Amino acid sequence: MALRFGGGTRAFALTELRVQLHEGIAIATSMIVQVVLLIFVVILAPSLLSYALIGAVVYSVFQLGPRIQNEAAFIRIDHKLNELYHASSLTAEGYFLGLSIGVLLAYLPPVVILLVLVEVIVPLSLLSAAVLAGVIAAVWLFTSSLGYVISTLFRDMRAIWPYSSLLTNVFGVLPPVFYPIGFLPGYWHPIALAIPSSAAVILVEAAQGGLVHLAPAELLFAGTALSVEAIGLFAFALYWARRTARES
Amino acid sequence: MSEEALVAVELRKQYTTRGSPPIDALRGVSLRIAKGERVALLGRNGAGKTTFLRIASTLLVPSSGSVHVFGHDAIADPDSVRPLLAVVPQEGKPFFHLTPREQVYSYLRARGFARESARAQSESALEQMGLLEVADRLSITLSGGQRQRTMVATVIATEAPIMFLDEPTIGMDPFARREVWASLRRLTQRGSTILLTTHYLDEAENLAQRLSIIERGRVLVEGSGEELKRRAGGTLRVSIVGGARLGPELESFGTVVPDGEAVHVITSPEQVQELLGLTLRAKLPTTVGPVTLEEAFLRVVGRSIDSEG
Repeated sequence: MALRFGGGTRAFALTELRVQLHEGIAIATSMIVQVVLLIFVVILAPSLLSYALIGAVVYSVFQLGPRIQNEAAFIRIDHKLNELYHASSLTAEGYFLGLSIGVLLAYLPPVVILLVLVEVIVPLSLLSAAVLAGVIAAVWLFTSSLGYVISTLFRDMRAIWPYSSLLTNVFGVLPPVFYPIGFLPGYWHPIALAIPSSAAVILVEAAQGGLVHLAPAELLFAGTALSVEAIGLFAFALYWARRTARES
Repeated sequence: MSEEALVAVELRKQYTTRGSPPIDALRGVSLRIAKGERVALLGRNGAGKTTFLRIASTLLVPSSGSVHVFGHDAIADPDSVRPLLAVVPQEGKPFFHLTPREQVYSYLRARGFARESARAQSESALEQMGLLEVADRLSITLSGGQRQRTMVATVIATEAPIMFLDEPTIGMDPFARREVWASLRRLTQRGSTILLTTHYLDEAENLAQRLSIIERGRVLVEGSGEELKRRAGGTLRVSIVGGARLGPELESFGTVVPDGEAVHVITSPEQVQELLGLTLRAKLPTTVGPVTLEEAFLRVVGRSIDSEG
């Protein structure tokens, strides 16, 4: 598949960033769940703080997907601005990517704050920092693609809202993102390792050493699953963006 | 670039929804638009105007038929067409959290305009749309008409070779509508081509050089406003208060339209004198005026509805 982003992608990303920055409260409050959870962990189980901090970073990145989902749906259903952009030299892939990058840039400061906290409280090794950077990129690709694809499936904004909380719970709350995978019975491990958000957290914890004890094959499985899911869904989202730029 | 801006041949579009019977939105629409022309599509709600516009602007795939924009196949190769066009979507709104200035400028940048030309063209478009006073206010604080003007400014700033405007002046006051008309005229003088839909028939008559009336997915008639009025059965309307007293005799002069106490007769200039003689002899108050496009539209579409049952 030829990737056609065009020169307008950057400009559209900056447009979306500017739109998002007007929602300062939404950006500021995007950390509430993570901060509250961290406070609970500090009070109730301080030994789990390292897990919860790494989980908070991955969770924050994952939350970009539901934001992209709502934003893409809103500007398509309510504003019809997708038509303005699709009927122009900005490619459909550029539109999807511009939207995703704009939302990423707007919500990056909370992630950076959490990263600083991680560095202060759980000083990362060079290896685990590199793994963290890699999994952040993979989770962003996965969640942006998922959010954008879901946004195209509905004609009514109200029908889309439940999917944000569904995604949050399925990928952010239920799997071992904020808690160690060891808390799960063994037969759940393959599922946890296959879910991109928990796979990402587990890979960082493994790279950090001492936080998780899994066989190399299990880590390989987690890394492969995350890579395949992120790249596969991103490729599908590019195809889907082009396909849905024109209704059939 | 081809001198024909748009050539649509036998376009058909059927919408299918699970559990509902299919809807034939277009049933073989053909339309040719020359470069620099201003054409208006008229029709009732659901007649197929927006469907046609969305297919022509590469946003919808037809069931069959072909569309070429400046010689490029809009169905098989939409990427070659998209840089040539700009669209004001029906009921489109600008980003609520951008100002009109930001909206127009950022759209031009996304289309690949250099900073300086994007700045110059957005200022010019905002001025033409009378938006300079509110150019730095967030769109969420603007009135509906001002938001619609922002959408039109966004599109006219592109000076794209062909522009599709779906009800571009909806919600605008009469002054703003005239500003839009003037801007669209200027654009076609510079070589752009305009295809618009509207329910304002005065707008169609004032702005478009050619009108096309669509009804139930088919083009009923095409031509200038005057031609459409002639097709309606005449260019003059004779209104006779108490005309019902004259009975079927009136029907020999043209189309008779009862309207409360009055009767309107759509007729030709050749028959007016004889008709006036009749009404004077009957001492019935009578006025003569030109047929409006709205009356012609109602006649043409009404006849179609009657014939199709």
